[in-house]
Amino acid sequence: MTIEEGIGAGAQGRAPRPPIEIPAAAWLALTLVFVAVCLVVARGPVAVGQTTLNGLIAAGYFSLGAVGLTLVFGTLRIINFAHGDLLTLGAYLTFGLNAMGAPFWPAAAVAIALTALIALSLDYVIWAPLRRARTSTLQAMLAAIGLAMVIRFTVQFFAGSQVRGVGQDVLSSINIGPLHLGSLQALVLVVGVVASTLVGLGLAFTRLGKQIRALSDNMALAEVAGIDTARAIRVVWIVAGGLAALAGILFAAAVGSVNPNFGFFTLLSLFTAAVLGGIGNAYGALVGGLVIGLAQEWSTLFVNPRWKPVVGFAILIVVLLVLPRGIFGGSRERS
Amino acid sequence: MNRRQSLLAAVAVATVALGWGPVRAEDGVTLTIGKLLELTGPLSENGPSQDKAITIAVDYANQAAAAAGVPIKVSAVSADAQGDPQAALSAARALVAKGASAIIGPSITPESIAIANGLTIQKRISLWPVGTSTRLRTIKDEGTIFRTVPPDSLQAYALAAAVVDKVGDPKGKLLSIAYRNEPYGEGLAKDLKAAWTAKGGTIQGPVVFDPAQATFDSEAQQVVDHNPDAYVVIDYPDTFAKFGASLVRTGNYDAAKLVVPDALAFSTVPGNIPPPALEGARGTRGGSDISTDAYKLFDQLWQKAGGVEHFALDANSFDSTTLVVLAAAAAHSTDPAALTAKIRDVAKPGAPKFGPTTLGEALKAAWSGKPIDYVGVAGAFEFADNGDPTISRFDIYEYKGGKLDVIKQIDAAK
Repeated sequence: MTIEEGIGAGAQGRAPRPPIEIPAAAWLALTLVFVAVCLVVARGPVAVGQTTLNGLIAAGYFSLGAVGLTLVFGTLRIINFAHGDLLTLGAYLTFGLNAMGAPFWPAAAVAIALTALIALSLDYVIWAPLRRARTSTLQAMLAAIGLAMVIRFTVQFFAGSQVRGVGQDVLSSINIGPLHLGSLQALVLVVGVVASTLVGLGLAFTRLGKQIRALSDNMALAEVAGIDTARAIRVVWIVAGGLAALAGILFAAAVGSVNPNFGFFTLLSLFTAAVLGGIGNAYGALVGGLVIGLAQEWSTLFVNPRWKPVVGFAILIVVLLVLPRGIFGGSRERS
Repeated sequence: MNRRQSLLAAVAVATVALGWGPVRAEDGVTLTIGKLLELTGPLSENGPSQDKAITIAVDYANQAAAAAGVPIKVSAVSADAQGDPQAALSAARALVAKGASAIIGPSITPESIAIANGLTIQKRISLWPVGTSTRLRTIKDEGTIFRTVPPDSLQAYALAAAVVDKVGDPKGKLLSIAYRNEPYGEGLAKDLKAAWTAKGGTIQGPVVFDPAQATFDSEAQQVVDHNPDAYVVIDYPDTFAKFGASLVRTGNYDAAKLVVPDALAFSTVPGNIPPPALEGARGTRGGSDISTDAYKLFDQLWQKAGGVEHFALDANSFDSTTLVVLAAAAAHSTDPAALTAKIRDVAKPGAPKFGPTTLGEALKAAWSGKPIDYVGVAGAFEFADNGDPTISRFDIYEYKGGKLDVIKQIDAAK
């Protein structure tokens, strides 16, 4: 249901809009601040401060993972179910290189490049032929689900299905007065914010970004206008693949241990963040992740944490009822 | 049956096995046992040891039967339950298709429930789950589910005893409970809460966490809030790798206050669990009296076979397998229903007692139709009406230097 809403949001979002939607962002910021103040009054500053930090970290996870997903949907109209497994692939390529003797972070850099390359090759093998055959979104989605399984089970074939420790220090934390957050978690948060902002700015202000937006509007028209659409699509896949690998590696490092299913299990949260923020919009991934992350963690101040997933999806449903295209929705032209 | 006849029977069985038939099936029993293992999924740590325990039991039963001249041959087929009810049901069907007359496993209660409802109750196949949740007993299994593992209602007493052992008189002591959102944790936490409050202690939580979350920091914070005297975290290894890290990051966590149940019992703490999360922690697990000859024999077989080290409930899988072989001997049949009907005849309180060291004699007695009481490596089972053991021995252990060290054993009974 979530995904169908997402398709609707993208397909309907053709009305021209101003380039920066300050009212929506300001409205959202005000709401979050208001809620935070109410919570501080009700539960005290330390508890609220800690859950807010935890919420920001969750937001970092969600937005970093969702930005590639939303980019691919925004430009190519593919609901890429294989995105979660690209996270897995990136993490496991890193483990593989690491096991062969490369230090973790250089191995991670190579794994990001390799995953980007694989994402690009998959376009040649799967997505380009499907585009030429003018397949519908539904057919492409089914192809993506199939591809997701192929990637996951290939990883599982080579790496085994057991839980794998990453060996990074997941215990070190940064203390700010009575508050604390994990160092690697903080890194995920920073990278998540930077990545979604860079992608958003790149799409808004660079020549290539404008070309990508043009082809996402109307591929035929973009080609007629002299845009090298093939090149723009290649860039989209390289960026999406590289970001997926980066997200996967940072997830694995910060969480400490993963198995080959982790990307797929994470995917639902990523879709939620992307759809909530307005699928197709790079800032939407950030904002969607922020809203869900904060709402889920704040909810633990009042109800048992077992309800966290319910809170996330309830927020999604409510927001979509009020803003059917997501918070920054209907903005594929801008994305 | 004399030696000569049994030799003939053995030859007949071998002939059938080699495909030279036709030979009448009544002459011997060729039993196939289904191993439903957690080879992948959240409990994949215990798959290899389960596999080994059942394999050892099968090999040992074959030796004992051959030596005693009982014409029964046992083999095993295996499948992966994957930690998923639907996958476990498919795997169980595959085992039955391969001729399994009884199924040992799986380890997770929702899997057992799916298999019982979808397959084994209807076909009257005995199922021997390794999962300890009391939720299993909410279904009407019509006498087909037997457990040699202690149900969590017993483990809850053991956990409460382990906490008392650590903090002393429970009066006024605060115990913080957290569990992964599964029937295992829910059942255990409920019984533990009752046991602890009955002793005059107070409870914080339980904090219930969803395993699919990206972070567990808010949950971990709630566990350590108000500086409790002890915490009990009921979790599986894969989530505890993350939850344990979150606990340590709170800065207020003291692993020496932690008590964990059997799902977190490791002979060596796995590399993906941060050592400070478990160092000094205590725990409970279904134990076997290691001073008995039965245990010494089991350990000897275990060491001789090589491979993985001991793991929680391995002795119980050995005993389940042995009980199935004895029941098949008593039934003279591999028909699942006939076998299921004989299980209580081979673990009959009051009947002559046999154990692993006297398995040959036990098989002979069972084959001749006499009731016996098999007392296994893990102890006597005294199956209640619902098929669960009514008494069980538990290890209380402590993690020292990343290794599990059993500090005492207790008997927990209702």
